[in-house]
This record gives sequence, C-alpha cells and structure tokens, in this order.
Amino acid sequence: MPDYLETTVGKFTFRVPTDRFYSADGVWLQPQGGNQVRVGVTDYLQQHSGDLAFVSTKPRGTRLVLEEEFAALETIKVNLSLPSPVAGTLVEVNEALGTAPERVNQDPYREGWLVVIEAANWDVERTRLLDPDAYFAVMRSQVEAEIRQP
Amino acid sequence: MTSDERRVVIVPCSGIGKPFGTVSREAAYEVCEALRPGETQLVALSKLVLGEEEACRRVGANPAITIDGCKLMCAATLVKLHAGTIVSEVAVLDVYRRHKDLKPEGIAELNEAGQQLARVVAREIAATIDQVHQAETAGGADHA
Repeated sequence: MPDYLETTVGKFTFRVPTDRFYSADGVWLQPQGGNQVRVGVTDYLQQHSGDLAFVSTKPRGTRLVLEEEFAALETIKVNLSLPSPVAGTLVEVNEALGTAPERVNQDPYREGWLVVIEAANWDVERTRLLDPDAYFAVMRSQVEAEIRQP
Repeated sequence: MTSDERRVVIVPCSGIGKPFGTVSREAAYEVCEALRPGETQLVALSKLVLGEEEACRRVGANPAITIDGCKLMCAATLVKLHAGTIVSEVAVLDVYRRHKDLKPEGIAELNEAGQQLARVVAREIAATIDQVHQAETAGGADHA
C-alpha cells in the first residue's frame, strides 16, 4: 500500500499516492520497470468528473505522441479526453473497464488503472512530470479555484 | 395489490441540476401515470427526508422500487432508513450503460435521448412490478 498525501475540503477527501508521477491534467503514471508506466486518473479528477459511464482507450500497439489522446472518459457530467503525458507505445489496456468502468471511481489508483505505456524514453519523459508534492499543490489550487466559483 | 395499501411505492431521487436525476423522475412519472397507474404510488424523496408521517408509513407498508441518478443512491438509502422493503434498486447509470445511444442531456427539459432512456427505465420497472404481482399472487395461492 502506498503512502498518500491527503486533503479534505468540505465532505470531499482527495488522496495523492507518493509512489508515482503526475500531469497537471490529473493523470498519474506509476513506473513498472524499464520504460513501462501504468497510467490512470487521479482521485481528484474522478471525483470532480462524476460517475463513469464509459471508458474507451486507444488500442494496444498505438504509438502515442506527447499530448495525444490515449483515452476518453464519459461520465454523468462530462466527456473527458485524456492527453498522453508521455510519448511512447500503448502496450496494455485495462479490459475490465469495458464492463466495469465504475472501478475508476471506486479505486482510481489500483483496480481503476487505464493503460500501460512503453515510454519512448522514460528517463527524459519523467523530468517533465510532477512529483507527488508538486501535483498535490496543483490539485489544491484547482480545488480552491473550484470552491471560489459562484 | 390494487388497494391503496398494497401499491408498489416508487421513490425517484431528487438530484437537482443533473440529467440523470431528471431521467429518474421522468421514469417514475411514466410508471405511475402511464404504465402501471393503478398499481403504484409515487412518494417524494423530500418527504422521507422530512420524516413526513404518511410517506414513511407508505414506504414501511409496501414493496418499494427506488430510482437513483448517481452512486450516492439517496432514494435507496432513505427508503432503507425508513425500514422499507426494496424489491429493486434501479440505477439510471446502469441502464444507460446498456443503451449508450441514449445519452441524456438537459435538465429542465430532457433531450429526446433522455426521454427515451426514461421510457426504457420505466418499462424495466413495470416488468419488475409485474414480477412482484406474480410473486404475491403465487404466495397467496400457496397460503389459500
């Protein structure tokens, strides 16, 4: 079990595991060894977006350029296009989400993972990403901005 | 089960500003006003929240079908809090997952797809009501 950074705002608690990297868009990347990273969405992004209705990912073998959509999520509130935070090749998809997309809501950091990407050059790619503390700060600012909205 | 005392209670969620909440209420109206008007009674969730005596009594005395628009499942939760017997917990999102072409949009006025989704939900509930009837009839025959 990873350790978490955690903040509670009103009735909502948002967790950020300390064992992975993040994009400011709310995508996490967990190194799997070599250049492979498991990818999913953060607790904040899934709570902010609402209950998942459908998850679709690009097929295995897709070559992704940086910021190219690798998955699309449809929730009861929004349609999300997720940009790939790294360049590389999509090598695995979480097939279970086809019949159980709610796993993204229920367990975004484990059972709700989306894909595994073989990064073109992980050592370089990861320098562009946020560490847990940096993402936690970004997330808090996003939460606070949302609270200030009328 | 056609007397006032033995009508299936239909409790839709009260999600405001959410299309899936609107679908739950439209489906409830379709069941209670069009598909099974003599066999159902609509109970407003807000009355259960307030603990209104008559609404709580109806929920406690009849089989209930709840219709929820999100995972909070407020309707099911409130019926259980009032010791109701739920014969079916309907989640609009689950029905939508089986009918991807019926994406509900709009709140005060649902789009055509949302209205169709509400009718699909309503037909499934009507089928459940028929099953409740059959089970009660069979139970009555067994005890005759």
